[in-house]
Amino acid sequence: MSNFFSKAEVTSSVRPVFLRNEVECHLLSGVDVEPEDYQFSPLKSGILILTTHRLLWLSSSSATTPTSASSIPLAAISHIFSSKKSLKSVFHSPRIRFQVLVSSDGRVFDPGSGSGSSIGSGSRSVVVTAVVRGKGDCDGFLVKFWDSWRARAWESNETSGSGSGTGSGLASGSGAGTGTGGGLYSTDGSVRMVGVAGILRKEQEMWESTDKSLQDAFQDLNALMSKAKEMVMLAEKMRQKLLSGTSSQTSGTNDEEMGSKEEMQDWLLSVGIISPVTKESAGALYHQQLSRQLADFVKTPLERAGGMINLIDAYCLFNRARGTELISPDDMLQACSLWEKFDVPVMLRKFDSGVMVIQNKSHSDEEVFARIKSLATKPEALRNGISPTDAAMTLGIAPAMAKEHLLTAESKGFLCRDISPDGFRFYINLFPEIDPSNIYFVKDYGICSTWIKAVSTSG
Amino acid sequence: MRRRPGIGGLQTAAAARDQYRLLGENVAKLRTDLMKEQLATFRSQLEEFARKHKNDIRKNPSFRSQFHEMCAKVGVDPLASNKGFWAELLGIGDFYYELGVQIVEICLATRSLNGGLIDLQELCKLLRQKRKHDREAVSEDDCLRAISKLKTLGSGFEVISAGKKKLVRSVPTELKKDHNEILELAQAQGYVTVDEVERRLSWTHGRAIDSLDTLLEEGLAMIDDGHRDGKRRYWFPCVSSISSFGV
Repeated sequence: MSNFFSKAEVTSSVRPVFLRNEVECHLLSGVDVEPEDYQFSPLKSGILILTTHRLLWLSSSSATTPTSASSIPLAAISHIFSSKKSLKSVFHSPRIRFQVLVSSDGRVFDPGSGSGSSIGSGSRSVVVTAVVRGKGDCDGFLVKFWDSWRARAWESNETSGSGSGTGSGLASGSGAGTGTGGGLYSTDGSVRMVGVAGILRKEQEMWESTDKSLQDAFQDLNALMSKAKEMVMLAEKMRQKLLSGTSSQTSGTNDEEMGSKEEMQDWLLSVGIISPVTKESAGALYHQQLSRQLADFVKTPLERAGGMINLIDAYCLFNRARGTELISPDDMLQACSLWEKFDVPVMLRKFDSGVMVIQNKSHSDEEVFARIKSLATKPEALRNGISPTDAAMTLGIAPAMAKEHLLTAESKGFLCRDISPDGFRFYINLFPEIDPSNIYFVKDYGICSTWIKAVSTSG
Repeated sequence: MRRRPGIGGLQTAAAARDQYRLLGENVAKLRTDLMKEQLATFRSQLEEFARKHKNDIRKNPSFRSQFHEMCAKVGVDPLASNKGFWAELLGIGDFYYELGVQIVEICLATRSLNGGLIDLQELCKLLRQKRKHDREAVSEDDCLRAISKLKTLGSGFEVISAGKKKLVRSVPTELKKDHNEILELAQAQGYVTVDEVERRLSWTHGRAIDSLDTLLEEGLAMIDDGHRDGKRRYWFPCVSSISSFGV
């Protein structure tokens, strides 16, 4: 591994750890990073992530462990070349070329290192090329690259840097922003209204414009829908190709096929057609990244909830944390189903009743049963049984989860249920101890005797 | 292609297969490029539409529901993913997902009162109270769509019809037809008695007791034994407005 680039930190789910105020802008897959007139070992076939502060490269091949991640701070970039549209470039994969400052010890200039390596007379600049072999949107990436580089987000350390700037500094639209944000509120948070007259005027305008624009709207809607219908038919053909492509021979060009399959999934998603995660494909690139992001996010709530959390609760927490650009329930489900392909410490589990939960892989059922058993053999429990709420309090999990655990324990034979108008209660199962040929014989060391003692003391 | 015997023949055949495969791949590549182009055209058309009518979609619930119907006819799902063009350009993704999260919160908050079954109109009313700072009108249709999306996450979010009313279920309880009929009956006065159930639905005593007990277990019904005539009444908070209990 070359020492040319700075090392970037990644989480256990292979997602980069972002700096304060750093926001992800764009992502390309299948990227090689090569030198042009300097010697460092090239980085092959990875994911290139552009953020407001750095360029990150993550290796996507699972063969190399630990997964290597490198970063180039945008501050070290001295020039970005515009893409030359020559005849040659039609046949090659698109390239992104930029110039990086190199300090005297042969590594990329790192402004955060504070080692005093200044951009003095001693340093030179080196041209680096990123070859985009995957089928990502290279031109869009380049545009965002320019924007982020010019925005110089790393220079504004004080106060809020991200996006909704209050006028100073980041006026040049660093791309990583909150988009249009709707017109309800002006930038300082107050609602745009000027008194009652303003409201009335707005209402009137709305009335007048509604009628006319609605007619236009319906016409446009019809035109749009006919185009969408074409797209759907084309997408169906593509999807057939996706499905049949897996059954044909898989010689050699696996990488290229996988890349194009991911791209097609992305396109289908854009139009609004969900394709389920199959054994061969890993779904759209978007879902893969989301899946890793989710795995990181869900760690803290899982610990707080005792190792198991309802899928719908996790969905609400995640969306609330995101604030804008919320994900759909389908996105959530796809992302969670992808976990079994990646090596992440969480998994999705479905109960018989249809409830789906996220649980820690290390969280075992045996441990829970042991705890339930010890709870069920306490004297009060022997007399009155345990209800889901009791179990919930003891185990430190939600009542719905507790009920699932109790039902599973019952199906394994540890507990017996008692249904009354008060609801469900569970008691320890004494039947295995009773010898069918001699049902009145009570073993001294078994739970039966404990139970008899406990019950008889209550009178 | 003249067939040659021996190794030479095999090699020729392999070479021919390779050539055909390359040709096939090229044809496929062309189709991929075509798809890319079509997608770009579609996207620009959608952008144009969004530019002109994004506000209409946000402000006008009936237009919105019309939009959804047409999408369904064509076979696209605008709410399928946050990454889709629809969510990105028209901004309806955030609207519905936010609605979904709020609906979950309301159902959770009222579960202790109604056991996980809430009237759709009640839900809409609470939703509007919660959202009174946003000026976008929320119709029942919007709620239904948000809930249908939530179904994919398990946990039993569903809309059931009991007579005239629509009830939103947020717990994974199996509600059979019998239960629905009792709920329908309860809409008249908010409660039922065993006699009433037997009489009006022509059920046996056992069947009535069984269904009522199940509803009781799941927390959807409450027992009231305090009346002078001594008959037990089963109240159903979900079919009447929560506010009528002075909560």
